[in-house]
Amino acid sequence: MYIRTSKRPGQDLARMSAYIAAGIVVVIIAVQLLVPHFLPSIFTTIARPFWRMEFSVGSGSLDSPQVLLAENESLKTQLAALNVQQQSIQAVANDNSELLALLGRPDASSVAASNIQSATSTGTASSTPISYLKSMPGRILAAVLVRPPQAAYDELLIDIGADRGISYGAKVYAPGNILIGSTTDILGQTSKVKLFSSPGEIYSVLIGSGRIPATAVGRGGGQYQAEVPQASKINQGDTVSDSSISDAPFGIVTAVLANPADPFETVLFAPSVNIYQLRWVLVATSTGKKI
Amino acid sequence: MKLIFRIVLDILLVIAILNGWWPIAIALVLIGIWFFKLYIEIIIAGVAYDALFGMTHGMGWRGYEGTIFAVVLLIVVKLLKKLVR
Repeated sequence: MYIRTSKRPGQDLARMSAYIAAGIVVVIIAVQLLVPHFLPSIFTTIARPFWRMEFSVGSGSLDSPQVLLAENESLKTQLAALNVQQQSIQAVANDNSELLALLGRPDASSVAASNIQSATSTGTASSTPISYLKSMPGRILAAVLVRPPQAAYDELLIDIGADRGISYGAKVYAPGNILIGSTTDILGQTSKVKLFSSPGEIYSVLIGSGRIPATAVGRGGGQYQAEVPQASKINQGDTVSDSSISDAPFGIVTAVLANPADPFETVLFAPSVNIYQLRWVLVATSTGKKI
Repeated sequence: MKLIFRIVLDILLVIAILNGWWPIAIALVLIGIWFFKLYIEIIIAGVAYDALFGMTHGMGWRGYEGTIFAVVLLIVVKLLKKLVR
């Protein structure tokens, strides 16, 4: 007769693995409740050098001198052409400033002028971030370390955080003064930016030349949708702007879906920059609330 | 040999997590759970993914879906292995 005196080793291992897994989960919950930023800080500190290296390689740090010289020449030519364009736009901006001053909004004139100026400098912004930064006081330039689709939640990870005085809820702009999101998590040297295009996010905008007020609802992947009355006469290619007096560009209409039986039509739009290719953003330092 | 395979798998998993390639990370952890008795790296991978890309204010439980998924996957595959072997 055989009597088993001990349990099978497989059972012990299964039990032990269950205990370890449960223990880790309990520790994570406790840490998250007591120190909410502890785990993100630890892991982003580890990941940051790898992301920075990837960013540097992507920016052409390892390109040959010949390639860099050729790119430099190409950018100089592009800059010269844009300078000519800039002069005519500056004249329009000055006219706009004078008109706003006549209408009793001299404070808005400088904002509007800077918007026009920055909207035209989009082409050079990504290549000359320092000059772009100088044209945007009250904002800090940040490199985008992780962007969609790499980040699964329609968010950006940028390389500045509490070390540069970034606050929770600070507005984030793409090159061209395009409002794209706000900061949702501030860590030591990195921050997380939730895009307004995240599913379910809402933001007030004005659409088309008729400046139809609407609520932009995020659809994910840098896409938005809004409902406007059928008679609004919104067309593909119309601009969408921020509903504040600053009139910051927000996006461009990509499609209008109209059903004759429905009194409203659906306007689909996206920012004029591709969020999948964003390398630099500007973070507002003067606005935002602390938590 | 098994140790080297585990180290290689872990390195690939770290690369996948850092780059946010979650479908590749899932494939790697499935291989890991199937081949090794206690592939605890899956939990660490889930926590790391959430810490890097989730765990954000206002995200709710969705910010922890990597960790939740890792624990569920570990239990399910463990039970499947018990049934099959």
